[in-house]
Amino acid sequence: MDGLHTSTATAASGMKAQADRLRLTAENIANADTPGYRRKMTTFENVVRQGRETGQVTTGPVELDQRALDRVYDPAHPLADAEGYHDGSNVNLVIEIADAREAQRSYEANLRMFDQARKMRSALLELLRR
Amino acid sequence: MSINSLQAAQGYAALKQPKPGAESGAGDTLSRAAKDFGAPMQQAETVATQAMTSGADPHALVEALANSQLAVETAVTVRDRVVEAYQEILRMPV
Repeated sequence: MDGLHTSTATAASGMKAQADRLRLTAENIANADTPGYRRKMTTFENVVRQGRETGQVTTGPVELDQRALDRVYDPAHPLADAEGYHDGSNVNLVIEIADAREAQRSYEANLRMFDQARKMRSALLELLRR
Repeated sequence: MSINSLQAAQGYAALKQPKPGAESGAGDTLSRAAKDFGAPMQQAETVATQAMTSGADPHALVEALANSQLAVETAVTVRDRVVEAYQEILRMPV
């Protein structure tokens, strides 16, 4: 398998990993108001095939953010304790937006790499055509 | 130095001998090339069917389609060159 082919496969794996990351970010944002929800964090891993690192990336097991949950004051809530507080989520929307933007930029970078490898292969063939 | 040249001579001699069992015909090479050409097409079809029916990864679909497109372009280019060379021979004044 030639290098340019491997480049497209690697870029595709990067795009897939970033898409997974954006999915987790979307879950976090959707559950920002869920009581007791812990923020999910994406982990990235090298793809190892037959004992060798392929250079491709994949998402590893999801990790939960272990920071303290927000204390929300709402005495009318069914989960509220004696002082009227209950556990909220530890999702910080600013962090999530930054994470989503980072996923977008990384996705674009992988997309460009894919396109460039494809263009380089086409250019090589173009040489044969004239 | 002398050992190296001896080894080189032996290597060349071994290369000259036709390998037993290995067919070295143009037909064999061509059929292998055709199989190599068919593999990306087959994979693209499989992935496209999966993407349509069971919602497979779109990245895999794009990658497989790009590969098959390149395989087709390669085949077409090589075919054009071969046909061109053949016509060139036909036009040769005898």
